Amino acid sequence: MTIFKRELSRNKKSFIIWTTILLLCNIGMMTMYPTLAAEADSYSEMISKEMQKALSMDQLNFALILHYFAYVFVYIILFGGVYAMLLGASIVSREENEKTIEFLLAKPVTRRAIITQKALVVLFYIALFNVIFIVGDFFTFEFLKQDEYSIKTFMLMHVGFFLLQLTFASLGLFISIFITKAKTIYPITFGIVLGAFFLNVISAISDKLEVFKHFTPFNYINPSHIAVNSSIEIIYIAIMFTVIIVSVVSTYLVYDKKDISV
Amino acid sequence: MNAIELKDLTKYYGKSRGIIDVNLDVKEGEIFGFIGPNGAGKSTTIRTLLSLIFPTSGSAKIFGMDCFKSQEKIKMNIGYLPSEVNYYDDMIVKDLLFYSAKFYKKDCTNKINRLCDILELDVRKKIDALSFGNKKKVAVIQSLLHDPKLLILDEPTGGLDPLMQNRFFEILKEENKKGVTIFFSSHILSEVQKLCNRVAIVKQGKILKVETVEKLRGEKFRKVTVESQNSFDVNLQGMRNVEKEGKVMSFLFNGDIKYLIKSLSEIEVSNLWIEEPSLEEIFMHYYKS
Repeated sequence: MTIFKRELSRNKKSFIIWTTILLLCNIGMMTMYPTLAAEADSYSEMISKEMQKALSMDQLNFALILHYFAYVFVYIILFGGVYAMLLGASIVSREENEKTIEFLLAKPVTRRAIITQKALVVLFYIALFNVIFIVGDFFTFEFLKQDEYSIKTFMLMHVGFFLLQLTFASLGLFISIFITKAKTIYPITFGIVLGAFFLNVISAISDKLEVFKHFTPFNYINPSHIAVNSSIEIIYIAIMFTVIIVSVVSTYLVYDKKDISV
Repeated sequence: MNAIELKDLTKYYGKSRGIIDVNLDVKEGEIFGFIGPNGAGKSTTIRTLLSLIFPTSGSAKIFGMDCFKSQEKIKMNIGYLPSEVNYYDDMIVKDLLFYSAKFYKKDCTNKINRLCDILELDVRKKIDALSFGNKKKVAVIQSLLHDPKLLILDEPTGGLDPLMQNRFFEILKEENKKGVTIFFSSHILSEVQKLCNRVAIVKQGKILKVETVEKLRGEKFRKVTVESQNSFDVNLQGMRNVEKEGKVMSFLFNGDIKYLIKSLSEIEVSNLWIEEPSLEEIFMHYYKS
């Protein structure tokens, strides 16, 4: 519990900053909904079909609050994914990067306990992040809605976001066992998350590239699909769980035997 | 029981050497010096003891327990003072010390306060803003606050001024009186000489010799320095580390003093010193050979 508490306080500031900014962006973009809803028809004519496809707008009807939300939420998910992966990738590696691991490993604590407590902090903050968004978005919806909306679809979008964040966070955790320098971890994190995001965009535009949609979590939980179908495909949920479990288990196994020379 | 027991401990980093077949017993209650130049393998040995790294072959035990299987138990009783001090940049001194104490599940407040007084450390300062020497003080206190049974010190005095070094040595002596075993790694021989019962000399990853400090001193080496107006040469059995600089010649001598005097009487000696050499000079002969 000692390390858990310590990491909670150490990561509090960045959590508050990320959550506040993203939540404000989310709510800010939602406040434009009433205006857009009124002119929903004209937008689908203004934007080219390809562009609509790329932004997953082609099946959306902006008159519906859930559909407009799906359009906005994609960007929140993108940056939420970056935050989650940075959190996962830095929480353990930071000790090596700042050479404090020599202090920590001289204490009566096993490497497994270090990983467990730190991983729990990541889980805690990502869960809290999502609870705040669910509550924040719920009140925003209640305030702005013009018709009733499906609370199930609303929840599925947020659950999808949560799973995507966990996927990136555990991937980050695993990668950071091998790459410990902060100056390398940042570009790799941005590269992977942004790469996955654009993979989703291009797989939507071109039929030839459609196969790539199976390789990016941004497609698995694409809020536009959820808005229309009100479901997440089981196979995609299974893939995300597999990535999470394999990453976390491998982290334990590799870290337990790793030579740490600072 | 032995506090530390190393058997054929070998560590390679890929192909490069760390340590080779290190065998070592450190008895409980002992102050044991671990001496060698930079890159000899001192830190590799210590990192293995702390299970920061894993050996290629061989075994390491502390208080009879395997260093890699019983990490948690062993570390409850170890205090470690690293050569380079790196702490969390968001903490003040007090935070760090109490964070450290929390791992041992006991109240260390009295000990912390006492040590801070002795070493004159301000606990409200940000660790980031501390000088090198003051960071070292934090590390010293951090290694002692939970009353460990074994202290592992890796080049402990770097950065401490002479006054603080003395106080630090006083603390170590006091701890040792209470039965604490001290493993003291250093390349500064005079401090080892002051404190240790036995020393191991390491060179290029191997242990050259383990010896008591008394015996090393007792090897009857004399440091002889001769000065003369004329050019001269002395050549006797038992001379080592001969150095000649203009009209001054110095060497270590463990042969028969009679012959030395006889030989010197034939030279126009203008000045002569015969001294007990420091351990440093004795060790130099191990490193050179």
